[in-house]
Amino acid sequence: MAATSDTSADIEAHDDVWVFVEQHDGEIANVAWELLSKGRDLADERGEDLVALVMGADLDETDIPEQCIARGADTVLIADDPVFEPYRSDPYGEQFRHLVETRKPAVALIGGTHTGRDFAGRVAVPTHAGLTADCTELEMEDGRYEMRRPAFGGDALATIICPEHRPQMSTVRPGVFPAAEPEEGREGEVETVEVVVDEDETMTEVLEREVGDVADITDADIVVAGGMGAEGDFEPLWELADLLGGEVAATRDAVEEGWIEPARQVGQTGKTVRPKLYVAAGISGAIQHLEGMDDSETVIAINTDPNAPIFDNADYGIVGDLHEVIPELIEYFEENEEAIPA
Amino acid sequence: MTDGWNIVVCVKQVPDADDVSIDPETGRLNRSDAEAVMNAPDYNAVEAALELRDEVGGTVTALSMGPPNADAVLRVAVGMGADDGVLLSDPAFGGSDTWPTSLALARGAEELDADVVLGGEETTDSSTGQVPPGIAAHNGWAQLTYVEELEPRPDGDKLVAKRDVEGGYEKVAAELPVVVAMGFGENDPRPAGLHRKIFAEADFEPETWTAEDLGVEDEVGLSVSPTQVGGMDTADPVPREQEVVDETDELAEQIAEVL
Ligand SMILES: Cc1cc2nc3c(=O)[nH]c(=O)nc-3n(C[C@H](O)[C@H](O)[C@H](O)COP(=O)(O)OP(=O)(O)OC[C@H]3O[C@@H](n4cnc5c(N)ncnc54)[C@H](O)[C@@H]3O)c2cc1C
Ligand SMILES: Cc1cc2nc3c(=O)[nH]c(=O)nc-3n(C[C@H](O)[C@H](O)[C@H](O)COP(=O)(O)OP(=O)(O)OC[C@H]3O[C@@H](n4cnc5c(N)ncnc54)[C@H](O)[C@@H]3O)c2cc1C
Repeated sequence: MAATSDTSADIEAHDDVWVFVEQHDGEIANVAWELLSKGRDLADERGEDLVALVMGADLDETDIPEQCIARGADTVLIADDPVFEPYRSDPYGEQFRHLVETRKPAVALIGGTHTGRDFAGRVAVPTHAGLTADCTELEMEDGRYEMRRPAFGGDALATIICPEHRPQMSTVRPGVFPAAEPEEGREGEVETVEVVVDEDETMTEVLEREVGDVADITDADIVVAGGMGAEGDFEPLWELADLLGGEVAATRDAVEEGWIEPARQVGQTGKTVRPKLYVAAGISGAIQHLEGMDDSETVIAINTDPNAPIFDNADYGIVGDLHEVIPELIEYFEENEEAIPA
Repeated sequence: MTDGWNIVVCVKQVPDADDVSIDPETGRLNRSDAEAVMNAPDYNAVEAALELRDEVGGTVTALSMGPPNADAVLRVAVGMGADDGVLLSDPAFGGSDTWPTSLALARGAEELDADVVLGGEETTDSSTGQVPPGIAAHNGWAQLTYVEELEPRPDGDKLVAKRDVEGGYEKVAAELPVVVAMGFGENDPRPAGLHRKIFAEADFEPETWTAEDLGVEDEVGLSVSPTQVGGMDTADPVPREQEVVDETDELAEQIAEVL
């Protein structure tokens, strides 16, 4: 049984905003920059410091600490040991727990990736911290920290508070908050912390890890997204996206079919995008999908079913087969190249 | 371990996602008349549990925390092939966030002497995905989340999982006991067999355990829950033009406008 240290008694002792900086093999997950940006605002409003926490191996050979400072951190805590590479939930959870118990942050932000959502509970449970999943708004209201998150597949927005326990932890999916530009020359402190995890005590072993280039669709101005209506053929979507200078995205169902890589999934359990133009082709418009693209400026729908809910959630739509409509769009833009911005 | 594994699968009762509507009069969320069903991702967890039993032997016990009528989801699991079911039900559990919910399930799993505990990726109502890692953390057990495939290694008391990670996958070996969260849609849940379904609905009676039975009566409910729901708003649909055009060229012109 894991020991429980109830931190609810000493709320006053907790301060500072922490951001977990997710990295794998020296490659930083973009969501870390998004959270440092949001965390900076929160820390300023609370009159506290922003602390970045990085775990990994051979971090002293990287410029990750300097990058964290340029992205807004006042202090960077580094836990540097081979036990942290590749990622595993038990060493990450144990190390993070130790730091939370000894340094007592008030707020902790963790990317809602498969990594962050995997280990966050191993910190929150033993410290009896509040852990709020998939926040889309984080705000100080009259001195109270409020976390808002969608529930019931996105039909409702719940406000979660954590009045008597610290830290107040949140996970946030990639793309929810914008990342700020790095500020070269910003100053901050870097501290290497004591590693409390012993390889002999770990319960898991990574046998194999296959990771390719990870597409990033969250910054795209133009997104051409496909769903089950693509019927296995995303080629026209790629062509249109290439022509317009955009990225291709998809529904979860299309990802599950193996038609496109999971990093391009939009929605509740995928990425949030907010492009100027979102083309939804062969997508029914399920609430879990809408949640990831609702902030798009203009939504275009192409669907064979005039009653598909996507039409209620689109600015302009056409009832038709995407395998006919998209090639016609491509033809139009090939003929009217001046319509495409350089 | 020659007599197989004690496999526990966690299933939750949720309002039918397709039935949760927004009241057009009040603009409020209407879920009171939504039918209660088993959380869709939990079908994948039950299927994975049954496949594990097929491979290593042992038993599958479904475990749910909820009101008395949540026995319905245990019947679904038993209908699919689970051997038994246990309901954790007690007014004391009311208002629990994921901290006490995972504590109660963790104690239930300990009581059942679990070697493997399975759950779904997340629920369709509050969808935190925090309960399976919470169970593992409360018991100090290993965990495997976002699992695509399981490969039992009974000789070494290990379970290997292929799990989805950003940009690819990894294979992780965990020591037993271990908590697994199956990725939604990663397997094809088997339909209930006719006889099994009749048994599950007519004859099967799950055991019910209270907070006191689990020894957690002071550690569950709203008062020990670190998070609280401070308010609920319906998510307003984003206003859109909703204009349907007849010709592709018109659509192209609208797109050109945005570019
Ligand atoms: C816990 C949970 C999390 C989820 N998370 C996500 C998520 O993050 N993202 C997500 O997208 N989904 C998610 N889902 C799934 C979601 O509920 C829907 O199942 C999914 O979005 C539907 O995908 P789709 O629109 O591609 O397929 P469908 O719903 O099958 O729609 C296909 C559409 O294509 C149209 N069509 C068919 N042929 C053509 C053609 N030739 N040309 C044009 N149109 C055509 C059809 O009329 C239909 O409207 C989640 C579900 C759960 C339970
Ligand atoms: C609007 C709203 C928002 C909420 N937000 C938060 C929050 O941010 N943080 C928080 O700590 N609590 C939150 N809660 C409380 C939380 O919903 C409950 O603790 C809930 O019982 C478990 O969480 P979940 O449904 O998210 O489970 P998840 O962690 O998403 O479920 C994953 C899997 O765990 C298993 N499981 C989960 N619950 C049960 C159960 N009762 N019985 C058997 N198996 C189960 C199932 O296998 C399931 O597929 C919220 C509640 C509401 C109403």
